[in-house]
Amino acid sequence: MEKKLSEMNYEEEGRVESIEQNLKNKVAGMGIRVGKNLKMITKHPLKGPIVIEVDGAHTSLALSVADRIVVEVKK
Amino acid sequence: MKKILLMGNPNVGKSVFFNRLTGANVIESNYPGTTVDYTKGYMKGNSEDFEIIDVPGTFSLEPKDKAEEVAVKMLEEKKDALVICVIDASKIERGLYLALEIIERGYPVVLALNMWDVAEDKNIQIDIEKLKSILNIPVVPTIAISGKGFKEVVLSIKKAASVGVKEIMEKVGEIK
Amino acid sequence: MTLTADERWDLIEKISNKVVTFSKFKHTLKDALGELTVKPLTGIPIAIAVLYGFWSVFSSFAGTLCTDGFFVKLFDGHFLPWIQSVFPGKGGWFYYIFVGDPAADNCFEAFGVLTSGLFVAIGVVLPAIFIFYLMMALLEDVGYMPRLAVLIDTIFHKIGLHGYAIVPSILALGCNVPAVTATRILETKKQRFIMMTLLAIFIPCGAQLGIMQEVIPESIGIVLLYLIFGYFLFGFILNKITPGKSPEILIDVPPYQKPLWNNISRKLRMRLGGFFKIAVPFVLFGCAIVNILYLSGTIDWLARVLTPLLTGWFGVPGETVGPLIAAFLRKDLAVAQLSAIEMSKYQMITSVVLVSIYFPCVATFVMLLKEGWKNLLGSLAVLVTVIFLYGGLINVIWKLLGVQ
Repeated sequence: MEKKLSEMNYEEEGRVESIEQNLKNKVAGMGIRVGKNLKMITKHPLKGPIVIEVDGAHTSLALSVADRIVVEVKK
Repeated sequence: MKKILLMGNPNVGKSVFFNRLTGANVIESNYPGTTVDYTKGYMKGNSEDFEIIDVPGTFSLEPKDKAEEVAVKMLEEKKDALVICVIDASKIERGLYLALEIIERGYPVVLALNMWDVAEDKNIQIDIEKLKSILNIPVVPTIAISGKGFKEVVLSIKKAASVGVKEIMEKVGEIK
Repeated sequence: MTLTADERWDLIEKISNKVVTFSKFKHTLKDALGELTVKPLTGIPIAIAVLYGFWSVFSSFAGTLCTDGFFVKLFDGHFLPWIQSVFPGKGGWFYYIFVGDPAADNCFEAFGVLTSGLFVAIGVVLPAIFIFYLMMALLEDVGYMPRLAVLIDTIFHKIGLHGYAIVPSILALGCNVPAVTATRILETKKQRFIMMTLLAIFIPCGAQLGIMQEVIPESIGIVLLYLIFGYFLFGFILNKITPGKSPEILIDVPPYQKPLWNNISRKLRMRLGGFFKIAVPFVLFGCAIVNILYLSGTIDWLARVLTPLLTGWFGVPGETVGPLIAAFLRKDLAVAQLSAIEMSKYQMITSVVLVSIYFPCVATFVMLLKEGWKNLLGSLAVLVTVIFLYGGLINVIWKLLGVQ
């Protein structure tokens, strides 16, 4: 199922489908790119940031940044 | 004196790396017009001495903040510098991203796969010889905390030359 | 030839396929701890415990152990009587500037360059700064700061900053000078303006914390509450009125690492070196200037002129003019001076808050100027507004509570 990264649930895993064009270069250096698998580690309440795992590294993104990344969630 | 830029992702043990390469004579300076600080020191090579600059850590050459901006500017100003790119061996892919960006801009690069012990703990095997022949640059596994690999880093400085990214793309196709 | 981000990743994946093999590995305790400290349910209580521990070590090491346990005895018991008796020209102006009050029996009240000046710099501030930077370097080296940044991001968001603003904010509790430098981790002009203004106004430095701990230990909590409240109140307002963008958090959360003594001691040496070069001369110099202003009658004159404002608007005695001038040079010095003025506990709280939010010390001022004079003017405009509004507000609160 396809959803925004910001809508993924805790412990869910997925594969990046698309990244908004002007965000692409910003996150590329941190290993976040189309086709990559990632896992939701935690979500903070009150629209706080999320933490995801990519290639064994943890990265924290604001919810509004995560809004701009679309993920195919694994069942 | 020939200049060496020490570059790499944040949190890869770059400052420990820097301390190992340089002696006690380290100068803390301020990048002109900003409040970003960087350190500079000197290193004894085998035949000549080098000035070595610890560039602020960055994930890519597309700056996200002031410190990364300075990192890019320092690189662009020192056209004739050599770059020692320090990456976390256990996160080799994102490290290669930065390394490639630097290589693409035509700088001679020595690639240090630091935190080699961490990669081993995580059961990550990296074929150094193959990586060397694909990138056609010196690649050295290092552990900054213990000093492993530093002699080789110093020795390989003179072997570093700039490589075209086209050649890398061709080479990766040829190699099995 | 350069590649696009996508092409570069394509190439990396090709290389990685041929060169790297990933196998299964066991998650270690370190990984588990890494996750626990970044998840809100477990992370927030841990963060509170860490910060509380930080404060306890800070106050017991700097205040109880070093200052009270050693330096007070050394300075008041041996150094002060000695210098009072051997320094030539008792009663003259030279003696007044360097030794201060010949009848004083402690270094807080003597107020000479070589008595209070040295005592404040070495006996109070140095231990405070030392332990502060030691613990800060430890937290940084272990890799705790990014986690703290993630945990606190939601709150900082409300004032136009993001989680990493915690780094300059905590550093400022040591000294504002490196904190101004640390604002570089914020991306936009707007964020850095808000951060610099807030830290210059509301965050007391380690020197000041150390001395507050020493002279008003029973009220320090209330002073800090006022400052924290002001920080967020004015942060909220600044975020609304400052033009520009506030980008979102996007940070790496590295795994924990064993701290390296080499790294920590290097950082500590560098920061302490900065303190000796900048802060100590300012303390001594500040002490001399204030004494000269007293001797020449300038302070008495200013106190007379400004008394209506100080007592009427802020509800503090006119004598606080002296410390307010000293505050421009060193805030620790100013708090020490305040402690020698007769006033009620509540007046003391108001004046300490005033000294805190009043002009940043000269060293910070210079750092802010380096960031650009337009920024500085903006910060100063905010500062003047804040002093009058917030200082007056505190006075009104006391009046409403019926304590003043």
